[in-house]
Amino acid sequence: MNSIRLKSTLPNVFLNREDIVSDIWRKDITLEKGKFYLIEANSGTGKSSLCSYIFGYRNDYRGEILFDEKNVALFRQKDWSKIRRKHIALMWQELRLFPELTAMENVLIKNKLTGFQKKKTIVQWFDMLGISDKTDTKLQLMSFGQQQRVALIRSLCQPFDFIFVDEPISHLDDSNALIMGNLLTEEAKRQGAGVVTTSIGKHIELDYNQIFKL
Amino acid sequence: MKLVWKLLRQHISIPQFAGFFFANLIGMLIILLGVQFYNDIQNVYDSEDSLMKSDYIILNKKVGTLGSIIGKSGSFSEDEIDDIEDQDFTKKVGLFTPSNYNVRASFDIEGFSKFSTEMFFESVPDEFVDVKSEQWGYKEGETTIPIVLPKNYLDLYNFGFAQSRSLPKLSAGILGAIKLRIQIAGNGHVENFDGRIAGFSSRLNTILVPQAFMQWANEHFSSGNDKEAQRIILEVDNPADEAINAFIQDHNYETDTDKLQASKTNYVLKVIIGIVMSVGLLISILSFYILMLSVYLLVQKNTTKLQNLLLLGYSPAKVSMPYQLLTVGLNVLVFALAWVLLVVVRQIYLAMLESFFPGMERPSMMMALGVGVALLLIVSIFNVVAVRSKITGIWRQKE
Repeated sequence: MNSIRLKSTLPNVFLNREDIVSDIWRKDITLEKGKFYLIEANSGTGKSSLCSYIFGYRNDYRGEILFDEKNVALFRQKDWSKIRRKHIALMWQELRLFPELTAMENVLIKNKLTGFQKKKTIVQWFDMLGISDKTDTKLQLMSFGQQQRVALIRSLCQPFDFIFVDEPISHLDDSNALIMGNLLTEEAKRQGAGVVTTSIGKHIELDYNQIFKL
Repeated sequence: MKLVWKLLRQHISIPQFAGFFFANLIGMLIILLGVQFYNDIQNVYDSEDSLMKSDYIILNKKVGTLGSIIGKSGSFSEDEIDDIEDQDFTKKVGLFTPSNYNVRASFDIEGFSKFSTEMFFESVPDEFVDVKSEQWGYKEGETTIPIVLPKNYLDLYNFGFAQSRSLPKLSAGILGAIKLRIQIAGNGHVENFDGRIAGFSSRLNTILVPQAFMQWANEHFSSGNDKEAQRIILEVDNPADEAINAFIQDHNYETDTDKLQASKTNYVLKVIIGIVMSVGLLISILSFYILMLSVYLLVQKNTTKLQNLLLLGYSPAKVSMPYQLLTVGLNVLVFALAWVLLVVVRQIYLAMLESFFPGMERPSMMMALGVGVALLLIVSIFNVVAVRSKITGIWRQKE
């Protein structure tokens, strides 16, 4: 997949609002593979909704979303399952990890599905992000900042053309944010993928090609 | 899949599933037991008279003194037959065809004695006789005729004649192997045939030959004027129907009440087993309902986990599988246990039945197996489809 195009897209909840000023809603923009984008937004402007639409999780919007000029409204369940395994990675703002599983199990449940990363690489990432002592800890016993790092590792355990990270560093200190940014850049470059990060304030430092104001 | 199962087994309620398990076990056992018991008991009934089905009734007109004196014919007219055919309880009507020629039969048992007697033949349409078709039939030119004799004849010989003359008793099996010599005469012809005893009937008080033979013989040996049917055989839906009794009395017909009683008993037995099986089916349906509710509750409680698995890229089929396997596994377990219990219970009641009816055969359990497997399949398919549609239902976040 080489492009994601948002054509006059608008969440249904904003239908009655005429005063929307945005670089994305009601515009025609295209996100290209290999480029880095930052979407800056105030809370309540539909940042997480956008991620949900692109991931096929919600469809309460008007306008069109096109992958390589194909309207996603026509995709079926099996198309979406494939996209989620092979083309688009998403790190959710609310993480969507499984509290009953350990940190490592949370990552493996994805990696076993895709078989994409070696166990060694995953262990190395845990180490890089400073949570190597937490691999066998139940997720519900970890802080939100630690959970964010687990979620990032999980999102990297698949092939992707685009990776969306929704407020990835909201609970991280600067040094960990930097490590995360490097890891994200390295993995995206290796796969030639596009990166889209969102932020409501503190954003991850990357080499952005374009910055949108939502 | 191990991790997925670790996730999805959260919130499984053991008491709920145990409730389903035992309820379904009881329901399944009752159904299987009903089918098997019916089969076993039917076998006993059938072996009483394997040639005639139990829901047949034989009708004739009463022979009155006055009728005998004035020479009134006891035969059924066409109008009367039409009238019987029109009754609601009638499924099929067949006429007895009497023989219109002389029959003489003889047979001898090696070294003892020779029997010889005048007799007669009758026939009914072949569909009323429950003998395999290759054993029951006749083609012109054949010299062997299959014959069904009344069971009374055998009893008469064994318990009367043989006893008083110190002759050996004969079983139906031995007699089946003995050939009767039959001489038929009429219309200027005389011919010899071999008679093969195809069976004994306790419900038919006549000597029965295949319809095809009767037709041929009546044409060949008869000196003209066909005799009309004196007796009628009826297949009915329900021998216990009061309308049948009323009809018989209104028209001054006669039937063998003993046999009608046996038919009634059999009918009542069918109804009782039907009711018991319906209860079993009801329990099964209710238990199936419990299972579906538990699974729905489970899916509801684990909605977030299921949704997150789908968002990771697990297909709905993969996510559905653990719960599908769980329900199908439970069903198989229930069936297996019900089957074991069925075999045990059957041993107990068969021992009892055999003391009532010595020498009864043990019929196979194929029918019960078929019903059990069919139930298992239907319920499992329903489960699989229901789980899948529930998972598909949570594919998108409800807005």
